[in-house]
Amino acid sequence: MRRPGCGRCYDRRVVAAPALGRLTDDQRAIRDAVRTLARERVAPRAAEIDRSAEFPEDLRVLLAEQGILGLPFPERHGGLGADLLTVCLAIEALSAACATTGLILAVQELGALPLLLAGSEEQLGRFVPGLASGRDLAAFALTEADAGSDAAAIRTRAVRDGETYVISGAKRFISHGSVASLVTVFAVTDPEADRHRRISAFVVETASPGFSVSRLEHKMGIRGSPTAELAFDDVRVPAANLLGAEGDGFRLAMRTLDRSRPGIAAQAVGIAQGALDVAAAYAGQRRQFGKAIGEFQLVQGLLADMDARTEAARQLLYTACEEIERGAPDAGRWSALCKLVAGDAAMAVTTDAVQVLGGYGYLDDFPVERMMRDAKITQLYEGTQQIQRLVIARALLARKP
Amino acid sequence: MGGEIWVVGEVDAAGALTKLSGEAATAARALGEAGGREVTGIVVAPEPDGAAASLAAFLPTVLAVRAPEMARRAAAAVVAARIVALAAAAQERPAYFVLSATPDGRDLAGMLSVLLEIGVIVNATGLTWDAAADGVPAGPRVEMQPFGGRVLTSSGFTGERGIILLRPNMVTAEPLAVPGSVEECTTGEVVDLPLVRVIERVVTESPGPSIEEARVIVAGGRGVGGPDGFAGLRELAGLLGGAVGASRAAVDAGWIDYATQIGQTGKTVKPAVYLAFGVSGAIQHKVGMQTAETIIAVDRDPDAPIGEFADLFVVADLAAVVPALAAALRARAG
Amino acid sequence: MRIVVLVKPVPDPGEERLGDDGRLDRSVSAVINGNDEYVLEAALKLVEAHGGEVTLLSMAPAGITDPIRKALAMGATRAVLVTDPALAGACSWSTTQVLAAALRTLEYDLVLAGADTSDGGGGVVAAGVATLLGLPYLSHARRIEPFDGGVRVERLSAAGHDVLEATLPAVVVGTQLLGEPRYPSLRGIMGARSKEIAVRTLAEIGLADRPVGGAHATTALLAARRPAPRGSGRVVRDPDPVAAASAIVDFLVERRAL
Repeated sequence: MRRPGCGRCYDRRVVAAPALGRLTDDQRAIRDAVRTLARERVAPRAAEIDRSAEFPEDLRVLLAEQGILGLPFPERHGGLGADLLTVCLAIEALSAACATTGLILAVQELGALPLLLAGSEEQLGRFVPGLASGRDLAAFALTEADAGSDAAAIRTRAVRDGETYVISGAKRFISHGSVASLVTVFAVTDPEADRHRRISAFVVETASPGFSVSRLEHKMGIRGSPTAELAFDDVRVPAANLLGAEGDGFRLAMRTLDRSRPGIAAQAVGIAQGALDVAAAYAGQRRQFGKAIGEFQLVQGLLADMDARTEAARQLLYTACEEIERGAPDAGRWSALCKLVAGDAAMAVTTDAVQVLGGYGYLDDFPVERMMRDAKITQLYEGTQQIQRLVIARALLARKP
Repeated sequence: MGGEIWVVGEVDAAGALTKLSGEAATAARALGEAGGREVTGIVVAPEPDGAAASLAAFLPTVLAVRAPEMARRAAAAVVAARIVALAAAAQERPAYFVLSATPDGRDLAGMLSVLLEIGVIVNATGLTWDAAADGVPAGPRVEMQPFGGRVLTSSGFTGERGIILLRPNMVTAEPLAVPGSVEECTTGEVVDLPLVRVIERVVTESPGPSIEEARVIVAGGRGVGGPDGFAGLRELAGLLGGAVGASRAAVDAGWIDYATQIGQTGKTVKPAVYLAFGVSGAIQHKVGMQTAETIIAVDRDPDAPIGEFADLFVVADLAAVVPALAAALRARAG
Repeated sequence: MRIVVLVKPVPDPGEERLGDDGRLDRSVSAVINGNDEYVLEAALKLVEAHGGEVTLLSMAPAGITDPIRKALAMGATRAVLVTDPALAGACSWSTTQVLAAALRTLEYDLVLAGADTSDGGGGVVAAGVATLLGLPYLSHARRIEPFDGGVRVERLSAAGHDVLEATLPAVVVGTQLLGEPRYPSLRGIMGARSKEIAVRTLAEIGLADRPVGGAHATTALLAARRPAPRGSGRVVRDPDPVAAASAIVDFLVERRAL
């Protein structure tokens, strides 16, 4: 497929194109196909996934079969070689129906990004085919109980022992930690080094002895997406699984998040759109005082603001994807901007959707209360909204006058 | 006087004339009277006599063509070849054909269209004879209701010949006061069409009015909940003298046979009364039934689209309404 | 096994309308005719099981390629699109002539077509195509199974089904019972961009001098109108079962249906 890196999409955006015009034919076709799949196969499962809080293995298989999990991976290793915007279009379309299902692709990308960014050709050849086919799921293990926003403060250790590293410690809040075959683990290799040179990244196969899932969290939203606490009890990892050089880990984690946050923004835009669609349809049908509630201006105001916030977040997301894909020097700023705006939009729009539905919106007979619970996480993970503001402000202040 | 109108009667598995053939004959007879054309019926079958006699109840002349090979061959090519031969032998070639809009009728129409080089108008819902207009000669005007009845159209043939496929239940079959005569007829071979062998005929359906012919249809959808739910609908259909239909959701779920499916990829029906239970009324279903004279819907969901085009919409739980309605109908019947 | 599937782009069901000229407005978003998707699925399964390839054959205005791309994305090998300004307003007789002529330029063992089309088409074209080509014609199939040199089809009948056999090449018309069509995979969608859609004019399929197309239509639309809207219906909300039953019975009596 054509990559925006060729500059064409970027140029086209300059001439105030309509919302569709900025997408290539491939991007439109893929978005439409995923949207159809989401409407027909994912949406009918969403309430049950939320209720049971079980990982939707059937939908993982569906995403794998349809090639959706292969989107972020290079073609030479069995992927589809899609650009970031295309991956985000797919996450958005899935999340409009079910945020948990959208997250399957977002986490697959997040977990694999360190490998894609820093892996050698040998490492890519070993791990990517399984990920691209969707047979293997990936997870990203940086956060620890006492190192969340302050990621450099992690304590998990990796000690070199001949041709292996021995990893010990624990990770917390790891999406897909219990269903992944491969986990990218960030661990301290040199405790004495400078704060940002202490850490290295490893691909850990979860079948390795000493790896275990110590607990699963009970969450407010994205309830079908397992969030695990992982224990590493002297897990031996071949030295060949070190990504990049020793000490590269922290920078790699930050580069990964620069590229993965748009996926969360896409999830947020999808959730907002899903809630807006439900609210608009409801307002057209629900009658009070002898007319559809959508005819009341106070309701119209809510709907219009919801649409404006959703569309603004979407356009910022698409621009951020294009900027990051073309290698913009302030990629981190774009990534933080879109996550910040989209996460807040999702929270506001889903809250208003519940308002439009009134008492019915508060019942689990309608999907908006689920969407509201799901939206909250987009303000928290892959950096809280407060961290996004820090990233943006630092980028601003670092600019040369 | 121009060419004749020919009506090809269809026979069912038992060799009897189908109900729709009587309707087609009645429609053709009215057309012939209005246009001043002779109308002739044709029955091609291994044993055509019974069906030909039935068709003669509606038409003054019926040709019975014995085609023993039809017992072991797919019908369309056999019938098409005989009709081409009859047309070649006729004093004047027939001008119009009125056939049934059934699978067999469509197959036959497609073949006759290219063999006789004439046009086809499918799915007729009404038939009149009209004077020349808009560059179209005097002849049949065919009413259709495409897109599930969202448009009404009137069409004609640009030449003075054509094939019309008539949908079920569009006219009421009316016999002649004095039945017509049956003429046994043999045909020579004019065209040689490849024949398709019938290896086996498997009978699985119990006889009863087919949904295309039924005056009352009791249809079930996803809301029926399962195959057991259809038992209640069958009882209602029995009490009302109707047939059971289904939406695609119910067929896809395996609760009931495809033969009962109404809608875009199923059958198009026009009963006097359509009773829908747990059918949401999605457009794919609507196009198959919205021309029913009276639509009554029962569904739990007050926002179900069927509420927008039902004449009576009862928002209620089916599980309770179906037995209550059955009880009320039994009480009425005494 | 070389299979040609006849596919027809139709307006998205529910969106159809007639243009000012009385012809079908083809500017509304087009999709593959639903019944054609079932036979395409059957064709893809046959090719997966027995080897071979699937060629799509369509007659449509030049601009309408999205539905054909989608069918390619589902797994068809290539497409042939017969398009010619002269074909606007073509009747079913013309369509039959065109598809048969196009098939004469292709190599195949089996031609598959869907039962009737959702845009008001009558499902008569495939029978005519088979007749023009002198091929066995098997319709209303719920199952298609090739065997050495032939094809066995279960044809739905009013009472059940008939088992039919014919030699190849043959023309088979299928129904929804052939099985749910697949979703095009993303790989299929991206691969479809580079698949060939061979565009053919009437002259290129040898029909330049034949009386086909809109100017030679055997049928003509004389008038089109919207039906009178159904009067708005009566709604009974949340009655008890006995009240619901009597509301229905009363209504049936009122409509003289009892």
